[in-house]
Amino acid sequence: MGSTLHLVGFALLKITLILLVFVMGVATVLTWLERKYSAFMQDRIGPNRANIGKLRLGGLLHMIADPIKMIFKEDFTPSEASPWLYRLAPFLAVVPPMVIFAVIPFGPGDAFVISNAGIGMLFILALSSLGVYGAVIGAWASNNKYSLLGGLRTSAQMISYEVTIGLNLVGVFMIYESISLQGIIVEQGDVLFGFLPAWGIVLQPVAFILFLFASVAESKRAPFDAPEGDSEIVAGYHLEYSSMKFALFALGEFIEVVGIACIGACVFLGGWQIPWVQHTGGILLTAAEVGIFIAKVFFLIWLQMAIRWTAPRFRYDQVMRLGWKYMLPISLANILLTGVVLYLVKGA
Amino acid sequence: MSLIKVKIDGTEVEVPPGTTILKAAEQAGVEIPTFCYHDALTRPANCRMCLVNTNKAPKLLPACYSTVMDGMEVTTTDPKTEKTRKSTLEFILLHHPVDCPICDQAGECTLQNHYFDHSASKSRSFTRKNHKPKAVEIGPRVTFDAERCIVCTRCVRFCDEVSKSGELQVVQRGERSEISTFPGRSLDNAYSLNTVDLCPVGALTSTDFRFKMRVWFLNSANSVCSGCARGCNIIVDHGENRVQRYRPRYNADVNQFWMCDAGRETYQEFQQQRLDSGRVSGFEVPTKDALSAAAAAIDAFVKERSVDALAFVLSPLSTNEDTWGVLALAEALGVTRFYVGGRAAGQADELLVLADKNPNRKGLETLLAARGLTAEPLSALTTGIASGAVGGVVWVGHEHPRNAPLEAALQKLALRVVLTSNASVWSTGASVIVATRTFEESDGTWTNAAGKTQRLFRALEPLREIPPTWDAAARIGRALSAALPLWLSARSVFDELVRAAPTLATTWDGPSGRKQGRPDVPNPGFRAQAFPRRG
Amino acid sequence: MGYKVNRPEFTLAENAYFVEMAKGIGVATKHLVENLASRKHTVTREYPEQQPEYAARYRGQHRLMLRDDGRARCVACMLCSTACPAKCITIQAGDYGDDQVEKYPIKFEIDLLVCVYCGMCEEACPCDAIRMDSGVHAAPELHRAASRVGKVDLLRLGELSIAQQGGTFR
Repeated sequence: MGSTLHLVGFALLKITLILLVFVMGVATVLTWLERKYSAFMQDRIGPNRANIGKLRLGGLLHMIADPIKMIFKEDFTPSEASPWLYRLAPFLAVVPPMVIFAVIPFGPGDAFVISNAGIGMLFILALSSLGVYGAVIGAWASNNKYSLLGGLRTSAQMISYEVTIGLNLVGVFMIYESISLQGIIVEQGDVLFGFLPAWGIVLQPVAFILFLFASVAESKRAPFDAPEGDSEIVAGYHLEYSSMKFALFALGEFIEVVGIACIGACVFLGGWQIPWVQHTGGILLTAAEVGIFIAKVFFLIWLQMAIRWTAPRFRYDQVMRLGWKYMLPISLANILLTGVVLYLVKGA
Repeated sequence: MSLIKVKIDGTEVEVPPGTTILKAAEQAGVEIPTFCYHDALTRPANCRMCLVNTNKAPKLLPACYSTVMDGMEVTTTDPKTEKTRKSTLEFILLHHPVDCPICDQAGECTLQNHYFDHSASKSRSFTRKNHKPKAVEIGPRVTFDAERCIVCTRCVRFCDEVSKSGELQVVQRGERSEISTFPGRSLDNAYSLNTVDLCPVGALTSTDFRFKMRVWFLNSANSVCSGCARGCNIIVDHGENRVQRYRPRYNADVNQFWMCDAGRETYQEFQQQRLDSGRVSGFEVPTKDALSAAAAAIDAFVKERSVDALAFVLSPLSTNEDTWGVLALAEALGVTRFYVGGRAAGQADELLVLADKNPNRKGLETLLAARGLTAEPLSALTTGIASGAVGGVVWVGHEHPRNAPLEAALQKLALRVVLTSNASVWSTGASVIVATRTFEESDGTWTNAAGKTQRLFRALEPLREIPPTWDAAARIGRALSAALPLWLSARSVFDELVRAAPTLATTWDGPSGRKQGRPDVPNPGFRAQAFPRRG
Repeated sequence: MGYKVNRPEFTLAENAYFVEMAKGIGVATKHLVENLASRKHTVTREYPEQQPEYAARYRGQHRLMLRDDGRARCVACMLCSTACPAKCITIQAGDYGDDQVEKYPIKFEIDLLVCVYCGMCEEACPCDAIRMDSGVHAAPELHRAASRVGKVDLLRLGELSIAQQGGTFR
């Protein structure tokens, strides 16, 4: 019994640290960082007004001020809305991206992962498919034609790009012959030709780029933010939401950003592997490996932000054309090429 | 007598001998600017504004005074005439203070209009302007500004020739000329405000209208003065939905160009204690509730007592349409007792004012006769109530003189329904008061003492949904299930009453005079024929 | 007649999007670094602390100019309210009773929420009485009534005018 309690306590500690401290922490900081970062990229200065007395911290207090404001806003439910689904939708938008972190290994071994499941990648794909329900149910339950149109766009876009994400990961599975995240990371510890780390980005560069863009599309961020459109469908599927319900949709988006960065780091950037350093154990090395993983995650977060604030948004037909006519065939070709190369290198 | 041919600016007209160039030009449709000329006054030809070039004299001739000759060719737009006009205006403006921002005449000032039409050049003067008394109380109702005066002497001639009171004179000479009253006199004749209308500049202004409103904010409508049975034609100038002043309107048959000072002040009477909603037992109610309450009260009274105990009090200030509507209600109920109130008689004078101060007594009598009804004076109502013959009244109007015995007697009545535009002692304590429109808010007709029926055009927007009296009476009648015609407008009431009393016929769709903002005619009423403003 | 739009021809690399994307990220990141280092490109005015400098001809809140004796120059001629396209000026004229000025505004109200700041009133004014050169812009207020500024407030911004009443010869 003691050991069971010990295991449960340890698991709860990991959940708390990963979800509440890391994921929520990063997502919250991102709400400020993204605005500040985009401002400096675009020659503005960004939020800097929230203050406690003279203390402003460059607008850092906005990430506290915003939730306070959100909480005190009127929580409005349209009279014709479907009341229970309307309330359920924000949670459907925020919970699946959070649950993804259950299988993300933050370091070597079982200690830094909540569940070192063998089907980790399948779990992630399944949950990311659930993400569309939040948007669609929210859109339908709002009983607003703009919301509904936004919801339709969202579902079409997310389903389209899920296909690309899945097919791009197939190439990775073929190379590393594993669908467990920990397994994929361990395989990436190899060195090719004596100098090249055997990372996914090296072995599958096309898949990395496609994965990155498809993921951005999946999280509905610019340049793939067709589900929103002030000139056509206003705020899209979350048009009728206010107060913390609206905040949950926004938070879900930031958690998706972190989640995509984690998956990308695990699958394409070698996870916690430090290049040219063999994993031999030891506290210092393990800490360095957790650190390098988090650094990789932040790099990918930065990349997503940079893409978002650089590219002009696509028209909706362009979004769909890009997904189905370019990304999907390239992904399929990539799998074929991967298979041929693997056949030639490893033999049947 | 044979007509003679003259050519004015190329237009040939035939006029009788002795016609002035100005009148011939009017016939030809040519406007010649004037200051001192007035159709109803003698012609001193002292302003020199009307000088025109002719082929019969080496110098320019004053058009207002010179008569036409056979074969005369007059030009009013040649450079010589135009230069002369310019010079004349320059002389007139030499000591004119040009304090138009302060001056009440601005906007309807002949000098302003002529300046912009004929001169519009900068002052070349380098001397100081003469200073003369300003804002002098020259009479109880008139304020005088000597600086602005251009000494056209219209006002002097008016006092000499029309009012025949002769208070005014010109003192000093040349640029020091001033209009003044004779020592110990003041401009206090009963027609003194006509000098304000006559004054082409802002030298004589109305003390009552002083600084009340700029004239270009005023809207106008043609109407008739309610002051006495003469029925002087007036223009109601109103702004912010209040009457701001009355001005006389030319009518050759009734009042010529004039109206009396007392008549001009009558607009105040309709602004005092104006009712903006009906009252039931002293509480303000919407019109429709007041009307149904009135109907219910009349119904209850007739059922309890009898129609014979019900009396109608009519007002000789009501329009013919209002009286017709009330009479129709009375007849539908079967009422036979009528009393006629109205303002008390006053003094008459030789010019316009009549002793009867009610504008429509003639019309009221004609309509009563047309329906075969008779009426007693209002004083008889006291005895009627005292004898118990009258138990309830339907009372129209507020303009009846105070009468203590009658006021006391009214308190005994079981029913008092009052249809009135303004509250008065006659409506205090009434069971139901229905607010109705004043004559300024209604379309209608009045018949003056001479039997001439004249049209009133609605000037003001009625307050809230206040009905005209004929409509109120008809709606009360309909609420009582009485067979009253469904009148849609004052016009339909008028058509009906003219069929019953053909002597009241008049043109309904005359010129309404309704206009907004700056008047088209600078000084309406100075000429029988008005020219539209240029530019 | 149709209008031919000259669309740029893209190379394969440009059409592939990713290369241009990388270039764009590079440019944006360059700006980011430079702005972080020295605010090289930012032009934002931090408003309440950094007040804008209004041009000399800036039309701000109205003011009423004063006579030498401190009374309002305005003679309530209503030309400003006549010229006003928004009809935001309400004037009620009164009588001083002296023979120098005679007329003055008892009430002079401008509804700043209605005003369109076109400057027609100061153009129309024959007395140099109303001006819009106070350099103060209309402040936001909590209540509509507070934006109806009256004579006292307008005079508070006023000062002596160098224009002579009635011109040079008077």
